[in-house]
Amino acid sequence: MPQPEAAVSPPMPAPDELTQFFWDALKERKLMIQRCQECGHYIHWPRPLCRFCLSSELAPGEVSGRATLYSWTIATQPFHPYFVDKVPYTLATVELVEEKNLKLVSHLIECPEDEIKVDMPLEVVFQEITPELTLPFFKPATAR
Amino acid sequence: MPPRRPNRVAIVGVGYSTVGRNTGLSADELTIQAGKAALDDAGMKPGDIDGITTMGGDALRDAWTLGMEPLNWFSTTHAAGPAFSYAALQAIAAIASGFCHTCITFRIIHRQPPSAARLAPRPAAVPRGVGGDYQFLAPFGAGSPTQWAGLLTQRHMAQYGTTEEQFGAHVIAQRDHAALNEDAFFRDPLTMEEYLAARYVSKPLRILDCDYPCDAGSAVIFTTEERAGDFRKKPVFVESYALTAIRDLNFEILDDMTSNSPPHCAAEMWSKTDLRPEDVDCAQLYDGFTIITFQWLEALGFCKPGESGPFIAEGNTRLGGKLPVNTDGGACNVGRRHGANFCIEATRQLRGECGERQVKDAKVSVFSNGVGPFCGAALLTAD
Repeated sequence: MPQPEAAVSPPMPAPDELTQFFWDALKERKLMIQRCQECGHYIHWPRPLCRFCLSSELAPGEVSGRATLYSWTIATQPFHPYFVDKVPYTLATVELVEEKNLKLVSHLIECPEDEIKVDMPLEVVFQEITPELTLPFFKPATAR
Repeated sequence: MPPRRPNRVAIVGVGYSTVGRNTGLSADELTIQAGKAALDDAGMKPGDIDGITTMGGDALRDAWTLGMEPLNWFSTTHAAGPAFSYAALQAIAAIASGFCHTCITFRIIHRQPPSAARLAPRPAAVPRGVGGDYQFLAPFGAGSPTQWAGLLTQRHMAQYGTTEEQFGAHVIAQRDHAALNEDAFFRDPLTMEEYLAARYVSKPLRILDCDYPCDAGSAVIFTTEERAGDFRKKPVFVESYALTAIRDLNFEILDDMTSNSPPHCAAEMWSKTDLRPEDVDCAQLYDGFTIITFQWLEALGFCKPGESGPFIAEGNTRLGGKLPVNTDGGACNVGRRHGANFCIEATRQLRGECGERQVKDAKVSVFSNGVGPFCGAALLTAD
């Protein structure tokens, strides 16, 4: 099957008032997650209400960027033109150290496949994809 | 506390449209064919029906088309996970509660364009932005169901030591069942070498771990216990059922990728019956991706958590085994009916209509649909 040409840009986020902070922070190389100001729980993906205590006092909170690897899958088939020449890449569900079950979908990079291990410690790497889009990728932790 | 027993509901008609990769049929035609097939199976007229639920159609429009009126219950659903079971459980609940007496349920799949079409070059220099929760997936090249299935599969392997060969054993067993089903698309036996050589879609998920997209109309007719004997075929009874949701539509960030909504659904279903897992003669467990069947085997108590891989590899789920599973061949082989085939196959097994793949004296079966955030299941019996 002839492969179509890759697109220049991945699907771009269209933030709304709840999510704008997340994308803005990434451009400044910060990982910010919505946090309840009353009970302290983090909430991702952002919502207008804390589902733990029903408070609407929510604000962005910076997190350490440290995480563990919950699961991963090696994407070998692209589902958008941008990724036609990016496969294979390793999609990862990472659990941020700040809170159990606080998970984020990302890429695992700088890690050969045979070295991937469940629960391995990771750290964030800010990757500028386009001038408008920086994504938080994760690599094996170096400093502990 | 004694079991909460719902009023019994019966299945009295099942049917499919022409099914195929490129049927050329419209969604209306798929609905009409499936509806007429189910009516014919039951020996019923459209006027006998007073309720309709559908996923993939439009309840009122479809009822009007098929001459089913007046209606005492109608519902058009869109819940992609529980899918057919969601529409079916709405029919069952409507009859059990007395809204209507006889309800037809449809799952109509009018095939989406293949993934190659989605990759065609687009004038994407200024791509449209992605909003909602999907904005946290799409920019990463995530969001395909095959990718969350890959994540769920990998987590099961990492947590329990489940192997690719165990997924292969399941795919091979289902294919052997499909060989005995003349309606299946894929009927040639498959070897482990062929399974392991199949391409990955999202490693460790292979193309053979995915159901097969096709056009399909499926229909099932439910009625009250009182009316169940009035129709052409031996009735099959809905002994118990459950519909479960545990959180948002977050397959990719589930709290627990190996144990999520199915255990809750199974516990609820078993709480309404005296029957136990060991009473089940054959199980029809959703296989949109193979990992889903694995999770249901564990959730329903047919094996312990984490032991579905060895349970399958030991041959328990084959015809002749302890618990034959997906005796029609599953959606990997009969094509994507989005759960409807599991209800229809369970019904046919309990009627004793399955010919070479018939499970001897089958009296109890279960069908399930969905995984992750939400799912549904029902336990069926023959008197």
